[in-house]
Amino acid sequence: MEPGLLKSADWPALIDVYFFLGGIAGGAFVIATIANLLDGERYRDVVRIGYYIAFLAVTPGPILLTVDLGVPTRFLHMLMVSKPSLAIGMDAVTVGPFHLKPFSPMNAGAWALLGFSLFAFLAALDVFLEHRGGRSMRTLRVVVGVIGGFFAFFLAAYPGVLLGATARPLFVGAHWLGALFLAVGASTGGAAIALVLSVLGGQRGDALARLMRFTAFALIVQLAALALFVLTVSTTGSAGIARALAQLIAGSYGVPFWLGAVVIGIVVPLALQFAGVVRKTAPAITALMSLLILVGGFAVKYVIIAAGQAT
Amino acid sequence: MARTLAMFTDVSLCIGCRACQVACKQWNQLAPEEPEWTGTYQNHHHFTDKSYRLVRFFEETDDKGQIKQWHMMSDVCKHCAQAGCLEACPTGAIYRTEYGTVNINQDICNGCRYCVSACPFGVVAFNHDTGTATKCTFCNDRIHNGLGPACAKACPTQSIKFGFRDDLAVVAKKRIDELKTLGYKDAQLYGEDSSGDLGGLNAFFLLLGKPSVYGLPEKPKLPQRNVVVDSLLSIGSALVVALGGLVAFRGRGGQGGA
Ligand code: SF4
Ligand code: SF4
Repeated sequence: MEPGLLKSADWPALIDVYFFLGGIAGGAFVIATIANLLDGERYRDVVRIGYYIAFLAVTPGPILLTVDLGVPTRFLHMLMVSKPSLAIGMDAVTVGPFHLKPFSPMNAGAWALLGFSLFAFLAALDVFLEHRGGRSMRTLRVVVGVIGGFFAFFLAAYPGVLLGATARPLFVGAHWLGALFLAVGASTGGAAIALVLSVLGGQRGDALARLMRFTAFALIVQLAALALFVLTVSTTGSAGIARALAQLIAGSYGVPFWLGAVVIGIVVPLALQFAGVVRKTAPAITALMSLLILVGGFAVKYVIIAAGQAT
Repeated sequence: MARTLAMFTDVSLCIGCRACQVACKQWNQLAPEEPEWTGTYQNHHHFTDKSYRLVRFFEETDDKGQIKQWHMMSDVCKHCAQAGCLEACPTGAIYRTEYGTVNINQDICNGCRYCVSACPFGVVAFNHDTGTATKCTFCNDRIHNGLGPACAKACPTQSIKFGFRDDLAVVAKKRIDELKTLGYKDAQLYGEDSSGDLGGLNAFFLLLGKPSVYGLPEKPKLPQRNVVVDSLLSIGSALVVALGGLVAFRGRGGQGGA
């Protein structure tokens, strides 16, 4: 058999964990920001837990990446080198030792990770201080939330765009991976907040129900993006691409794809939500539904990356 | 920028002796490797961190499964005018030289391996000992001293020619005409056209059949072309998700109906 020409980066599952946590961080941050903008008082718990989760989920990111690269200082090369070369790519900008490459999603993503970490830290600090009885800095929180929100979206989506900018057959004609990863970030971010809320209890009023409604909506977007991804790849035509897609949806990745990413991650939680089970019954159901969404969110990223790297 | 340097590999002259592969290993001091059984004379399956030049062997069979023709092609990094590896590299380790070649600065590379999956020809290989990505440099040290790459020097049939790109293009076109008159009707150039795919390849080829016969992509594509569309779709879904959030969290209190 022809081994084929292409090679794979063979990124380990560590990278999937980073992409997963980055998605949760971005999603939770955006949810907290929206809740804060609309009614910071009423959704106080969603805002606080959302910003805490965002900060806690993004913090391992640089560590995971550093472990993958092996040498601590190497991560810095993503952002700066002491002697940048002149011709390093389309529209590349270098300022002093720093460089930004808009067409390298990995480079842009490293900048987004840095920017988001700063804003996630500020937001978490602000809700922490307020919780400890300090004054709430309303305007500051809004500014941090909105600017950080853009970084948050970027952080959630860029891994999908990054995969799409490789020569791997499953990814090269895909186009929808960024949108999919963004939706997964939103659904898993919502699920993470809901999980904490339902475990801690104490949420007043209808905030949790509204959060679950949003999360279910994000799941629908996720399902649509996943379907469009499969559809786009399947109509791209070349034999190598067809083989890679078959590997994902029918081959050795078929079971985790259908069972993990689709059934556990999307269909069951949506069914629970629309059956109205979540609203009426104990927080245990909400917690279960959140767990399923989190498992499915990891599964969909993991299985797509694994199948794309293997074929 | 100096005149662009290029390599022209004419497969019609290749005898599969692998002198180029050996010369490359010697000049670049690449360590020996365990041989790999690939089913043909080819060794290895892919470019590796210790094989920057690779003679590919293809056995074209007829309907009865009998070998009809052997194809040999000495493969190498194409030093693409629009290079996927270079665009992907987040550190700026991959850069274009004044001669138009594409190199990896080993001091800057941080071992992220993005370039490995971004090359449309599967050229870049990861060196696990140094933790960096490696590939052919057109013998950067030699060409900056007027010597030309080791592989081209070693090739006994002049299947591998090295020189200025514009000069080689003339040679290549003449050779195509020659082969056509000899009856090789499928002979064609791959990567010579600098207004074609990837802005042309600085290592271009003369093939005796379709690119797919040699396992090459018919229309290689710069992976970063996807970035704009993929980003726009991401922004679109971000807007939808944000709108969903606004709707879900807005409105009168006290009720949580779906
Ligand atoms: S062939 Fe691959 S490694 Fe060589 S310049 Fe082109 S993209 Fe880069
Ligand atoms: S492995 Fe090195 S050369 Fe390749 S993209 Fe990463 S930093 Fe650049």
